[in-house]
Amino acid sequence: MLQKKRKFDTTAFLFIAPAFILFTVFLIVPTVSSFYYSFTSWDGINPNIKFIGFDNYKEIFTSARFGNALKNTALLTVVISICENALALGLALLVDNVIKGKNLFRAIFYLPVILSGIVSGFIWKIMYSYNFGPVNKVLDMIGLGTLKQDWLGNADIAIWAVAVVMIWKGAGYYMIIYLAALQGVPQDVQEAATIDGASALQRFRFITLPLISGSFTICFTLSLINGLKVFDQIAVMTDGGPGFATETIVYLLYKSGFGEGRQGYGTAVGVVLLFIILILNNIQSAILRKREVQL
Amino acid sequence: MKKALSAAMAAGMTAVMLAGCGSSASSAAESTAPAESTSAAASTEAAAESVVSAPTALSFVFADGDDTFKTQMNKIVDDFNAANPDITITIEPGDGGSYSEFLKTKDSVGEFPDMMEMRDTAMYVRAGKIAPLSDDVKALFTSTVDFDGVTYTAPFSGANTMGIMYNKKYFADNGLEIPKTWDEFITLCQTIKDKGDMSPLVVGGSDVWHIGFLYDLCYANDVLESDPDFIEECYKGEKDFSDANYQKAVTDLAEVLSFAQDGWASTPDAQITTFFVNDMSAMMFSGTHMFSQINDAAPDFEYGWFAVPDRDGKVNLLGGGTAGGWALSAEAAKDPDKQAAFDAFCKYFFSSDVYGAYCEAMAAIPTTVETPKMNTSEQFKSVLDALSAADYTHLMWNQEVGNRELPPDFRNFTYKTCIEVAQGSRDVASASSELQKTWNVALQSFNPTTGLGVE
Repeated sequence: MLQKKRKFDTTAFLFIAPAFILFTVFLIVPTVSSFYYSFTSWDGINPNIKFIGFDNYKEIFTSARFGNALKNTALLTVVISICENALALGLALLVDNVIKGKNLFRAIFYLPVILSGIVSGFIWKIMYSYNFGPVNKVLDMIGLGTLKQDWLGNADIAIWAVAVVMIWKGAGYYMIIYLAALQGVPQDVQEAATIDGASALQRFRFITLPLISGSFTICFTLSLINGLKVFDQIAVMTDGGPGFATETIVYLLYKSGFGEGRQGYGTAVGVVLLFIILILNNIQSAILRKREVQL
Repeated sequence: MKKALSAAMAAGMTAVMLAGCGSSASSAAESTAPAESTSAAASTEAAAESVVSAPTALSFVFADGDDTFKTQMNKIVDDFNAANPDITITIEPGDGGSYSEFLKTKDSVGEFPDMMEMRDTAMYVRAGKIAPLSDDVKALFTSTVDFDGVTYTAPFSGANTMGIMYNKKYFADNGLEIPKTWDEFITLCQTIKDKGDMSPLVVGGSDVWHIGFLYDLCYANDVLESDPDFIEECYKGEKDFSDANYQKAVTDLAEVLSFAQDGWASTPDAQITTFFVNDMSAMMFSGTHMFSQINDAAPDFEYGWFAVPDRDGKVNLLGGGTAGGWALSAEAAKDPDKQAAFDAFCKYFFSSDVYGAYCEAMAAIPTTVETPKMNTSEQFKSVLDALSAADYTHLMWNQEVGNRELPPDFRNFTYKTCIEVAQGSRDVASASSELQKTWNVALQSFNPTTGLGVE
């Protein structure tokens, strides 16, 4: 059989060209050039750029500040991935099972998603304010004044206060994905299991969960990536503080690059983060895909 | 036919996308065209007095976080534009919270303004981004900060003198007196704390630069008075951050912060006036720029001002000209009209009436040779008296240049570390050690005493 000769398709090329150009200029070129800048001591504005070899990377792996940012990022990523998905699945199950007002509840739970990270950060900064914030005021009103905290000013609590905001903001998005998956679970299979005497928990464990496992992979991957790149809420709510208590890798990257005039070091932090995301994402995808097959 | 049509559509899309990439420049040109034509018409009348040869537009950026400052600048620029129809200065939104980062970002994306408020002057001078002041403009000031004999910034206020603003009524009702030594100041704070009516001090620790105010007080008293060259000696390896005087400064700062209101670490600077005028805090340590904010928030609130003395009762105040101020970008200076327009703006801004009104509104220390016309409030008069009687004056450690210039953002790292000490998550020895480690890393790429990172 004669193989069809492949020829250059001008029309296809022209359709692809706009996206290709934008993607190359705004993503590929900056990413590749980042590797170069990470080996320099560039301050971000001076045209004289000095090559310093692996000094930035040496500093990263010996710096207590980076270690602290890595710890905070890991903590936020794990807590957010688990709590966000658990909450989102719970909300999806509730919304899926309500008879009346399904759309209303879906809209209410989805509402925080449409706020920008900056806006939600500002709102919660006011909510958490020690002296004027509604959170402490409510605690006072219901007689739990002893539980009042400086939510964003206490180094032991601030990171958890930020995590709550991120979970509140992100859960609605994953709820929609889970809801779509739940609505795709065939009712006849559920009914057959009910007739066979399966309890609600058994139906969820052995029917619903396997059939929505694809959504788990998507949602966990997305929340993992979001957790790793958390920035806006930190920048607005705590500015990395008090002290260094809530600095994350992306915040450190921005602060070093733009705040401290150390673009080279900040870029090196970015390169390290890129590899961390690649490695974690591959591990997570492998585990979740394997689980999908098992289920 | 269909194929030809598809190809034409695709080519059209590509052309539109590519045109989109360059649209900002062309649309900017279009949007300025009507303004230029308007000003061109108007400039015909003013041609005889015009300092520019053609209608000239300049972009202008400053830290607009302070409402009073923003209002003043908007008015001054509007008045200047009206008085100079062939010059159009356009204020672009600034970022008061993190202005230094904002300006670097503007530069990174190719939107460096024509004229701006300059803070990190040394860095931009080294990068060749800002132009020297003309002799005419330089001659307006009593003192300027120079780099190798060249002045790059027009200082619109002297160093922002810090001191304590106190609640006069509360002090009078409780028989509290102005402290004459550091120990008396600490006792005063303790007395107010023990009374429990309000916190002795209000601190906006959420804005890390606000911590710098109190840091400067302790650093000046404990370190600078005995060793003004401490930073230079650290560069040379003759001293380090385990120095006893330096550790005393960090300890003093932690002690002062123990008298701040509950929740100080998450309180933004923008809220501290609220605490002060609502009898939630008896004292506030900040610069003279707060006078206008207090007056706006509570016009009838009675408050006084005093300088915090050191242990021997001597007063060391922030004072003198700083390296910050108005600057013209090197790119804009290549255009003689923009240079002339910038010079005209500086002369207008620093003219006696305009600058007097500005200093009065901002409670700013004047920097000009000609004394501006201004009325001074009781508090501002206290500041001027204290400045003239001060035993020492100094600049903020991050405003120094030459061999005392700090490595990039060592300042914020220090303040954050001090917050950790104040909150008890780190002791002073550990803070010294951490600061020294960061200092050593910074010295690998920046050391003005050897020229590293400077030349």
